[in-house]
Amino acid sequence: MGAVLLDGIVGGLQLGLLAMGLSLLYGLGGILNLAHGAVAVTAAIVASLVVDGVGYPIGVAAVIGVGAAALLTLAMDRTVMQAVYKQEGEHRVLLSLLLSLGVAFLVDGLLEWRYPSGALSIRIGGGPVDVFGIGMRRGSLYAAAIALVALGGMIFFLRRTTLGRAVRSIIEDEQGARLVGIDPARVRTLIFVVSGALAGLVAMTNSMSAPVDVRSGFAFTINALIVTVVGGLGSASGALLAGLLLGIVNVLSAFYIGAYVTSIILLTAAAVTILVKPSGLLGRSR
Amino acid sequence: MTTTTTAPVELDATLGGSVPPWRAYLPVLLAALPLALLPLLFGDSRTYMGLATGLLVAAGYAAGFNVIFGMTGQLFLSIGALGGVGGYACAILADRIGLPVVAAILAGTLLASALGALFSWVSVRRSLDVIFTGIVTLTFSLGFENLLLGQRELTGGEDGMRVEAGQDLFIGELVPGYYAILVALIGFLVLFRFLERSHYGWAFRALKDDETTAELAGVDVARYRIHAGAIGSAMVGLTGALYALNEGRVTPTAFEFAGVDVSSLVILAFGGLGTLLAPVIGATFFALLEEFVLRDLGTLRIAVYGLILTALFLFFRDGITGLVGRLRGRNDHLGPNRPV
Repeated sequence: MGAVLLDGIVGGLQLGLLAMGLSLLYGLGGILNLAHGAVAVTAAIVASLVVDGVGYPIGVAAVIGVGAAALLTLAMDRTVMQAVYKQEGEHRVLLSLLLSLGVAFLVDGLLEWRYPSGALSIRIGGGPVDVFGIGMRRGSLYAAAIALVALGGMIFFLRRTTLGRAVRSIIEDEQGARLVGIDPARVRTLIFVVSGALAGLVAMTNSMSAPVDVRSGFAFTINALIVTVVGGLGSASGALLAGLLLGIVNVLSAFYIGAYVTSIILLTAAAVTILVKPSGLLGRSR
Repeated sequence: MTTTTTAPVELDATLGGSVPPWRAYLPVLLAALPLALLPLLFGDSRTYMGLATGLLVAAGYAAGFNVIFGMTGQLFLSIGALGGVGGYACAILADRIGLPVVAAILAGTLLASALGALFSWVSVRRSLDVIFTGIVTLTFSLGFENLLLGQRELTGGEDGMRVEAGQDLFIGELVPGYYAILVALIGFLVLFRFLERSHYGWAFRALKDDETTAELAGVDVARYRIHAGAIGSAMVGLTGALYALNEGRVTPTAFEFAGVDVSSLVILAFGGLGTLLAPVIGATFFALLEEFVLRDLGTLRIAVYGLILTALFLFFRDGITGLVGRLRGRNDHLGPNRPV
């Protein structure tokens, strides 16, 4: 039981990280990126190619993979998403869903076609480590540590730096932010790229316990979306809280019932949250 | 707000409040006629009849999606899964439980319809429903796929299961099965036009145009969205059930997201979202594309679908019909849609 819970927390930290970028991006630009999972998978495949093909050490390959994810989101922001930004309100959300879905299929399809058996799996050597009397795999501990550092970095960025405060001020009141000289479009581009890098990072940490292959994108996207909704759209700390909660729900249902029902249970959790508190756990009601 | 000035004009131009009923339903007849004649040309060819049946099934899914997304703007990303609910429910009820085929078809249709209504209901509870609809239905797609793979004894897992029920009936035969699905498709199109001409059409146009204005004008937006979700999902479920009986087999691949949902989106985007004949025009385009361009591409097809989807929604948001209208009319409309 304890081991299952710890696994859930490790998974939950990563879920929170995966959802955070998506959530901020929604708060900033009113857009949802359904290619989030495809971006994560791109990072994984690039990293695996660098390791196997070029022979760089895994650490370097991981950095290159994350960089590739960031570049892919930058490219999205500069090209297809420009049409989205011209729209307003509900039309903008809708067009962002449709276009990013197209991009997701394009990227997933290309990767699956070129590297049908492509997968990344980072093996961390050494035996289990004792945590509160429970033997934890080293891979999980590394993943948790990396996720914690990244989460801490994001929270520091949002709360303590000028740019981070600019991000939050736009989410709060875009018109007001404009008046004090903040350029929402540039901040949006930055957060888009950061969300891509975070997705890439989660692909790396995920591959420390189970392989991330070319077909993982769909599940990545859906998990991130559920966590985003439950945590509250636009709320970074909500994403973290919801990630932890759903991470634990995830492992518990997989442990007691079977892995195949976890997505149904997560869906129910998301539906109940929408019905009870439409703005999410920590989201502001609009 | 331009709502009040444009809506009546549009009504007269597209439907014609004064147009006699036979003229309003004429396009359905014109679209159905060539489809009804196809078996006379290809009746003995298994390949061509298979293709034509595939076209009808794709058009059937798209017709349901056209009610849900085209009419009320709810982006259901679970068309394949809802079709699968219809198909698998019909197969399991008829083969395992021994229900009469008609009852099994009805049950599959109603189950899909109830699920669609549920998704709409969950999403329309508050504002921001575009996102919630997308997320709830997308998650259901993944959940349904996992359920099919997990409940191996009931569904046959990834190999799927044989559907015996339709094999001794006309629905399981090549040409009669084709006509059975065609009749259903014609029914969908007639229902679509009927909805357009009823108070539903008025409410749908109002709420798609501007939700708040519609609400203020006394349109019960939530109720109309839920009805659209239920009606469209019933069409999708019925198509899935008929497909299952005709094909004699259901598999997760037949209802997968990357297949059905993407094709439905491409079909509607190409045919003109929310227009009567979009499912037929789009499905014909899609079938020709599949047969002559994409057949030998393997998994690269998914990438091509993604490219087509992106391009269609970037450049031709009102589909081919809209493009033709734009080329004939004002060319300056092309300007703002050009990529930067």
